[in-house]
Amino acid sequence: MCCCCPCPETSSPSELFAARSRSHKIPVRGQKDFLPDGSEEQRQRLEQSLSEHWSLVSEERVERLGNLVKATWIPGDQMVELQSPAGKFWQTMGFSDKGKQCLLPEEALYLMECGNLQVFYQDLPLSIQDGYERFLSSRTVSLRQYQVFGHLKRLGYVVHRFDASSEPSSYARQLNLPPSRDRAGKQLKRKRSGSPTATATASCSHSEAQEASTAERMEEEEGEEDRKLPESHLTTSAETPEVQTSTATAAGPAGGAGGVGGRSWWAAAVLRAWDQGSSHNPTSASPCWDHRSIPFPDLGSRGVGDRLASPDPSLLPAGVAVGVCNVAPWRRKINLRQVKMSSKEQKGRRRWDVNKDKQVRRCRNWAEYQELQARRRGGRRKGRPAHLWNAAVAPLHDPRRPIPTKELLDKISVVKSTNLLEGASRLTGSDEWRLCFSVYQPDTVAEFKKSNPGKPYSRICVCSFDGPVPDLRALKLLASQSADVPVVFAVVDQGDISFYTFKDYQLPTDVHT
Amino acid sequence: MEDDTSQSEVIGLGLCDSCPLLWRTRDLRTVRSRGLVGSLLGSLPRMPRQNGRLGRPLLLQPEEERLLTELHAAAALTTTDQARGRVEQYEAEQQTSYEQQKILALEDRKSALLRAMTSSQTVPDSGPRTPDEALRGRLEALDRSFTFPRSALAVQLSTVRAGLSHFPEDRALLRADWPIRAQDDPRRDVRYQVFRDLRGRGFYLTSAGKFGGDFLVYPGDPLRFHAHFIVICLSLEESIGVLDVLSVARLGSSVKKTVLLCSPAADGAVLYTSLQWSGMV
Repeated sequence: MCCCCPCPETSSPSELFAARSRSHKIPVRGQKDFLPDGSEEQRQRLEQSLSEHWSLVSEERVERLGNLVKATWIPGDQMVELQSPAGKFWQTMGFSDKGKQCLLPEEALYLMECGNLQVFYQDLPLSIQDGYERFLSSRTVSLRQYQVFGHLKRLGYVVHRFDASSEPSSYARQLNLPPSRDRAGKQLKRKRSGSPTATATASCSHSEAQEASTAERMEEEEGEEDRKLPESHLTTSAETPEVQTSTATAAGPAGGAGGVGGRSWWAAAVLRAWDQGSSHNPTSASPCWDHRSIPFPDLGSRGVGDRLASPDPSLLPAGVAVGVCNVAPWRRKINLRQVKMSSKEQKGRRRWDVNKDKQVRRCRNWAEYQELQARRRGGRRKGRPAHLWNAAVAPLHDPRRPIPTKELLDKISVVKSTNLLEGASRLTGSDEWRLCFSVYQPDTVAEFKKSNPGKPYSRICVCSFDGPVPDLRALKLLASQSADVPVVFAVVDQGDISFYTFKDYQLPTDVHT
Repeated sequence: MEDDTSQSEVIGLGLCDSCPLLWRTRDLRTVRSRGLVGSLLGSLPRMPRQNGRLGRPLLLQPEEERLLTELHAAAALTTTDQARGRVEQYEAEQQTSYEQQKILALEDRKSALLRAMTSSQTVPDSGPRTPDEALRGRLEALDRSFTFPRSALAVQLSTVRAGLSHFPEDRALLRADWPIRAQDDPRRDVRYQVFRDLRGRGFYLTSAGKFGGDFLVYPGDPLRFHAHFIVICLSLEESIGVLDVLSVARLGSSVKKTVLLCSPAADGAVLYTSLQWSGMV
């Protein structure tokens, strides 16, 4: 055994019994001194502080057996399984697996430290030390991450592990895909109304008809429509490719509607996938594809041959086989020629329509128009020096054309401001920087639901002063993974934890109108 | 005197996720008597849901760990005996504990009853029996009817693993089989030399990440004294921008501490430079 004397770390039955009525107060620390002066008074104060310190630190956890939840450690699964009914902590911690109540190692360790849980392994209770040494590893959470977890839990926050797969992928967000099935209906409905995806199938026209009705009615029937949507879209996209291509071409001239039409088609495909995924495997939580690893053929690029290889069978519904696809007829329908426009043309299109000009409308033929243009150029020459305006590099703005100050400021700002999320979706993940925890505020604990936790208060990335400061790439990456939830960096320095956050700042423009 | 006895004691280190943790109270005391502070990480048993005062384990700074290792004063904790036959032992202990706590609980109740009865003696008793008889009757009834439910058993949730030990002869080998510790890193080396020198001068050191430095330096035990210095470790060859110098000096003055730039020299000594506003306008 460890030493000749009886181990002071274990309490005798009488000590255990006596511990039931011990104090739960923490002695207050007095004012600190500036310099040690070797006085007896100072020595005594130090001695008293130290003895209080040691008695606090050496105190053992003693609990009534009836107040302890019993559990076992399952090293293979790296989790803790409850053996007796869970306590109040179940509202915010733990998960059910095949009808069993389980805790993640960090949750179990925290509850052990709080004196709520007794974990057994091979029929023997684990000490707090066992918990630290067995539960914390690179497979679960590191000691540093646990320090942050414990710190936040002790403050009363609800802390869950961050699960990237439960978040919509950057691709899905970029396309504005519905984040979950039950919200899909609402989003799609609005988009679809302007899009030409309407087809002749009965169920679809039924829902289109619903849309024609008033907004109030739509709200009422929302639930019903949500359930119908996947099937109606199933029939839509199960039709021949002609429907899809016609959608794309028809949407073209309609301007803004183009993107919308295409978008709802993609969304429908995903909905269909979800629908099938859940019918194959009802227990699996919404199978979300990693769209970064699934290539979509880009028919417009010249590198693609006329024949497309058959897609990965794992992406197809069961029982459907797809052979090599001949894309030559599709490619003929795509206008592959690039439209070239000079910068002047682009500006002109946006800002000013030639047909609105009354003088131009008065011109009866091309020659008169040309004459008018020449006259104007001549007139202009008086106001502005030709050498400034006729060169490749011209002033940003013509001072004789009045526009609102705000527009002018926009026009002359050569370096445009950017935001944190710009271009972030193109970044690939890194091992060095990742989000660890989602944190929910303590005041929401009363109505907190594990199944539907809602939007987190913040997401935590754990790092240390030994490591590098996150660069812009890391910031963008984490911000895009966290979507609209702020990312907080928990910097662990031995026992100290400091929380830092980088905020996207919109520089205000001061315009008097 | 006390220092001498504790200095000779070997400190048992437990490794958790490759961080050196101290678990036994006596190891914590030994380390503190050597002037090493470390940082407590665990929830305090007495009041677990707060961050103001924390409890065991104690995490050693890399420099503290290295100092102890060089002094051959620390060894890795190993478990001596494993589960075999321990389950029966554990269950037997639980049973003994239950029997004893039952007796204690009964005695507790009896003395409470006794107190209540003797204090009520002042009240005129019109009963047919004498107070003594009544008391005896109540005590006997209590003896017969007393039950101590299993759920009322007080159990200890041990902090330290039972049957812990270390092999003192392993002390010298400790460094060799210690898992990856990035101590050959030159920056770590500079930090360690500064740490060792300041500790040798009797200062107490903690980490100073929150102040943007390497160490906070206390003139005495941090329980009783404020830190005076923020240490920034730099090797002699390293150059530092004047803006950095200004910002650390500014930081130090705003938290009422002196910034020390510390550089180990070739002869083993450490050069200290402090910065102060001159006060000239």
